[in-house]
Amino acid sequence: MASDSEKASAPTKSNESAPGGLRSAFSRKVLVDSVVRLSPKSLLKNPVMFIVEIMFFIVAAMAIVPQAFVPVASPSLQVFYVEVAAILLITVWFSTLSDALAEQQAKSTAGALRKLETEVSSKRIVTEDWTRKIINLKSTQLRKDDLILIEKDDIVPLDADVLEGIAMVDESLVTGESAPVRKAPGDSLIGGSRVVSDNLTAKVTTNPGETFIDQMIKMVESSKRPKTPNEVAITTVLIGLTAIFTIIILALLGMSVTLGLGADLSVLIALYVCLLPTTIGALLPAIGLSGMSRLYKHKIIAKSGKAIETAGDTDVVLLDKTGTITVGNRRAIEFVPFEGYTEEDVGEAAFLSSWHDDTPEGRSILTLAHEKGFVPNELNSLALSEATPFSASTRTSGVKITNVGMRLPKGDKSGHDRLRIRRKSSTVSDESMASMLEPEINIIKGAPESIKKIVDPVPQNYDLIVEGISAAGETPIATARNGKAIGIIRLKDVLKEGIKEKIQALKMMGIRPVMITGDQPLTAKNIASEVGIEEFVAQAKPEDKFSIAKKEQAESRIVAMIGDGTNDAPALSAADVGLAMNSGTEAAKEAANMVDLESNPAKIIDVVMLGKQLLMTRGAVTAFSIANDIAKYFAIMPVLFSAAIPQLQALNVLQLGLKSAVLSALIFNAIIIPLLIPLAMRGIAFKPTSTMTLFLKNTLIYGVGGVIVPFIGIKLIDLLLVGVFHV
Amino acid sequence: MIDAIQAISVILILGITILIAKLIAPYIARVYNRAPSRLDKIVNPVENFIYKICSIDPSHSMGWKQYFLVGLLLNVAQMVIAFLILIFQGNLPLNPLGFHGLSWDLSLNTVISFGTNTNLQHYNGEATLSIFSQMTAIQFLQWTSAATGICMGIAFIRGFIVGSKNMGNFHVDFVRTITRILLPMCLTASVVFIVMGVPQTLNASTTVTTLQGTTQSILVGPVASLDSIMQLGTNGGGFYGANAAYPFMNPSPYSNVFMIALMLLLPTALIFVFGDLLGKKREARPLLWGAYILFGINLAIAFAPTIPLIAPGIETRIGGFMSSFYTVATTAATTGSVNSALSGMHPLTITSGFLGMFIQSIPGGKGIGMMYMVMYIIITVFIVGLMSGRTPEYLGIKITGRDVKLVMVSFLIHPIIILVPTVIAYASGAASAIGVGGNSVGYTQIFYEFTSAAANNGSDFLGASGNTPFFNIATAIVIFIGRFAPLAILLALSGSMIGRKRGGTSGLKTDSPIFTIVLVASIIILVVLTFFPFLALGPISSFFRGLTNGF
Amino acid sequence: MTENKEKISFKPIIGLALVSLLICGLLFPLVVTGIAQVFFPYQGNGEIVQLNGKPVGSNLIAQNFTMPFFFHARNDSASGVDPDITLKDAYSQITQINNATGISSAALTNIAEQNQEGTFWVFGTPYVNVLRVNLVLIKDYPSVYGNFSG
Repeated sequence: MASDSEKASAPTKSNESAPGGLRSAFSRKVLVDSVVRLSPKSLLKNPVMFIVEIMFFIVAAMAIVPQAFVPVASPSLQVFYVEVAAILLITVWFSTLSDALAEQQAKSTAGALRKLETEVSSKRIVTEDWTRKIINLKSTQLRKDDLILIEKDDIVPLDADVLEGIAMVDESLVTGESAPVRKAPGDSLIGGSRVVSDNLTAKVTTNPGETFIDQMIKMVESSKRPKTPNEVAITTVLIGLTAIFTIIILALLGMSVTLGLGADLSVLIALYVCLLPTTIGALLPAIGLSGMSRLYKHKIIAKSGKAIETAGDTDVVLLDKTGTITVGNRRAIEFVPFEGYTEEDVGEAAFLSSWHDDTPEGRSILTLAHEKGFVPNELNSLALSEATPFSASTRTSGVKITNVGMRLPKGDKSGHDRLRIRRKSSTVSDESMASMLEPEINIIKGAPESIKKIVDPVPQNYDLIVEGISAAGETPIATARNGKAIGIIRLKDVLKEGIKEKIQALKMMGIRPVMITGDQPLTAKNIASEVGIEEFVAQAKPEDKFSIAKKEQAESRIVAMIGDGTNDAPALSAADVGLAMNSGTEAAKEAANMVDLESNPAKIIDVVMLGKQLLMTRGAVTAFSIANDIAKYFAIMPVLFSAAIPQLQALNVLQLGLKSAVLSALIFNAIIIPLLIPLAMRGIAFKPTSTMTLFLKNTLIYGVGGVIVPFIGIKLIDLLLVGVFHV
Repeated sequence: MIDAIQAISVILILGITILIAKLIAPYIARVYNRAPSRLDKIVNPVENFIYKICSIDPSHSMGWKQYFLVGLLLNVAQMVIAFLILIFQGNLPLNPLGFHGLSWDLSLNTVISFGTNTNLQHYNGEATLSIFSQMTAIQFLQWTSAATGICMGIAFIRGFIVGSKNMGNFHVDFVRTITRILLPMCLTASVVFIVMGVPQTLNASTTVTTLQGTTQSILVGPVASLDSIMQLGTNGGGFYGANAAYPFMNPSPYSNVFMIALMLLLPTALIFVFGDLLGKKREARPLLWGAYILFGINLAIAFAPTIPLIAPGIETRIGGFMSSFYTVATTAATTGSVNSALSGMHPLTITSGFLGMFIQSIPGGKGIGMMYMVMYIIITVFIVGLMSGRTPEYLGIKITGRDVKLVMVSFLIHPIIILVPTVIAYASGAASAIGVGGNSVGYTQIFYEFTSAAANNGSDFLGASGNTPFFNIATAIVIFIGRFAPLAILLALSGSMIGRKRGGTSGLKTDSPIFTIVLVASIIILVVLTFFPFLALGPISSFFRGLTNGF
Repeated sequence: MTENKEKISFKPIIGLALVSLLICGLLFPLVVTGIAQVFFPYQGNGEIVQLNGKPVGSNLIAQNFTMPFFFHARNDSASGVDPDITLKDAYSQITQINNATGISSAALTNIAEQNQEGTFWVFGTPYVNVLRVNLVLIKDYPSVYGNFSG
């Protein structure tokens, strides 16, 4: 597990990332690793650094036997050659150090992931001769579709679906969520979680070594990680630049020899190394790796590096209303009575009907009723009541209370009882008499359309109230008591914290959020406009997500979306960026290219931001690296041909001495690598804004800055060298 | 430095040229869309006759490979014809001065040079070529290479058009370029040149007795017809060795301005055609403004020193100011005609000339310059585009590793074919053999020679003194690679755009002023990074040595 | 539209090479020559200047004046046949002509000034055409230049 000091930082506030994370990452292991990586063989996959190392060998040879290199070297400069060679070697070492650091970070990520799948013992269920037998096996011996028994305190050996039993499961190791989760048949279990109560029978859904966690482990272990499309393209640019600079240096060498310009080979090599894109060459692998690690710190597992890059390109994000924009359940906020009833009447009926309703909505109704003091007298009869659970076909649920008034008789509210206005202060006797006459109370609540069909008469303002609530983007639940409509419970969606700002950020970056919901258009519209979304699809079924994603893609847009159910799977696999919830089904997780261990749908937005941050960091370091070269020319060119063409001293804008010019430029070139390692590992900070603003801002900071900074840096190093070391 | 009136005149000349280019661009675009035109009545029968006798199927369309190969083979066939004409010039008609055939290496150099729109000349036309050769070798290749350049540019654009399926038909594009664009434009320009005093006759010379009683041969010929295609086709090869400094090619200050406008016209128009054919006129903006901002920077460099009114190597009727302006324009448009001796130019003007030839797209040769600018845009979009937080895309197309590879290779060819032969010229002793030294002055001449060859420009210091087997063959090779290798690669790039997925509009806005500024900066950085040390050895070092001219 | 990916037929290439030779290398220059000779014979043939019916040179090509009573052309110049000298250059030659011919400096200055060209805006440095100004001298001072008038 990543240590706390390496805690994840949102791209919008990356300064949060503690430098302590880097410091703690420095270890003897990293140092040893960085030295081992200096071997030319292991450097081969980084062509730029490989060339620098070859240049080190040449200058080292010049330092040992300068006579052999005359006329492009002079024995009097032997000490200088030693210095140049040393800096070249340090340059390469800085690069391997950066690799080693990123690798260590990745390894700790991989290690944390591996912990999720450590080999545990498991109990496989086999049926032999019509009897169930339990065979003890190692988790690695299990295969997909095996049946397993998981008892209290067992670790879930592999991802599995619950077949029988209900148990509490601790997923904290996987998701970081400390409260145990209730698992019932149909729910999926995550390998590595722990059963804390009861027993479960489950069916294994993956083979060992094939889980998405395995895919992530493969990705963070750089040796197995394929280059992403952008990395391939950048590497091509780096090779191209390397080729150009190689030609330039060879031509300069040729001209110096044929025209008798007397350039020293070590100075030419210094110019060469300074021009080579060493900065981005050294940091490119680290940037990619740390991008993955950052994603994991957000508890998101990506199955490929490409998926993260694609996330940065997202044009459209399909947001499920429930869970992403709203907290996933509505909250009761008001009881609206029909003509002839009071708020209390509705509240008490709602209380009774919600007693058996264990959904968050049901609980919120109880809470509201309780807060308002609408606790019905029939409370004690509830134990003997008969509940009708919510049925999708009738879209209602209900409760039937018999033996009413055995203990606390309560008034019948179905009649036009004039006394009801005084009811609060009235004595029990009046109403208890009336209620005694009522054999049972039958309360039904549900969709207004459904209730409308079963009540008689339908109150005059029934439709008006229902429409009014819908128009406000809220949900009306109608309540009927013994066949009479008495009022409406007003339910309101609760927005997720910070969702408005996140959506605003998306829009600023030119990304279109599209809300998808099963709600009525009016309700959908209100929620959408409340969070600033212009586009929404109402009354959508999960299957519709697929066609929505396809439609956007047909217009060449990059689509990001989330999903958890099996019927989300086609859409998840069609989307360019599909983020599955870990709590979702195995099919959804298979189809997606990322999985959120915390199962928080709103994280799709973080994924997009992380993708952008990764691309920006890569671009910024590349531009910075190339822009640096201008200053290096101005440092080294005047001294390269100082003997033959003293007039070129006019270009020596930094007023550098002969040796100091070369050493300062080389030292700057080397030192900039470790200085940028924190930036590479943490990603560049950015505020969500339009593509062009980001482009302009970063171009100014890293492009223009890349031109200016080395002039200052080289001059400072020169002052230090001259002042302190008397070069 | 120049004064305000001179600055205004430069802006006016460029402004009017750009305006005319913008006005003719829709016509050019229609020519390649095969849209109906008023010319159809006259031109269609001619074109159909050509298709018929050449067995051309106008409905056939080509992929990029076929389009390029057909163009290359046609150019080679035309070069072979011209080669034979030059070699056997002595036995051919219209040779009043009785010139002999050219040596094989000079012929080879000349046909490759003219067949590729370069027009590097290692001879003095008036003392080497017959009237017949001037017409059927020189002017012939000036036409065909210009037409080929335009066609390649058009094919390149087609690859980027949404929904296009192929690059078009080279044969048809080539014929239509000649009949519908070059013929009417060159005819008009030729008549203007004649009115301004440019001769057009089949005679080679008129002999007169001067006032002092001596005999003078006035060398004339079909000069006006050459002048028009030389400038309009950004060719640059002159009838006379002195090129546009010779009064018969450029008789007055007015013809001089006309020549500047003519050579910038088609390269600029092709930039607008890019936007027109794409159906996104705004996308022509970075090409246009990028080109002309860099052109302005080049002018500023050339005009930075005090420009003499008149100096050795500068013609009286043209003057120092217009000579410097012309030199910047002729290198920027990679035309290569010169109206003064380059040796009369200030080192900074020469530096500016080098920059024009390094960049090759400000606005560059017609069609070709536009292609190079798109190449720079793609490099820029890729390197800085990532900083916008998205995978870089141009015209909605994501830039892939393969695109970057093609672009880098086409960029890489230029320094290789300039620097390697420059070193060889000194190492082999070929430079000293023609009396060119190794100091900043001599080195500039050799470096310029290969830069001009590689950029298909054609201006040079060496002139007829470059007529040695080494320079003839070396520059021929450089010219050939410099022309056809980038063409093939850039057409491959464009060809690969066909059928690619197009993204939305949320990416980098390449038509915005911000992008244009970044584009200009990145071109400067790329060019400075690649060529700065070599400029430092040559004109920059001459500058710091205090030279004002005399290369 | 038909697309034939790799096959290249040579007949159109050879045909087009020859057709382009005819149009661009022969037809076009000949047509332009015809236009020049019919409509602009003076320019078309090199602006040949005549004195008393005899061609004596071209307006656009310098003559090698060596005699002291003529204005002299430049002897450095890019094309080598620059027909013009700057007004300043002309003034500097006045003393020499005055010495040789006795024509007053004022008159010579006047002739140079009257014949200056290139004065329009920035398009050139004020200059005089050497042949033209010498012909003026011959016409204006027949007594001095009698030998050259015929």
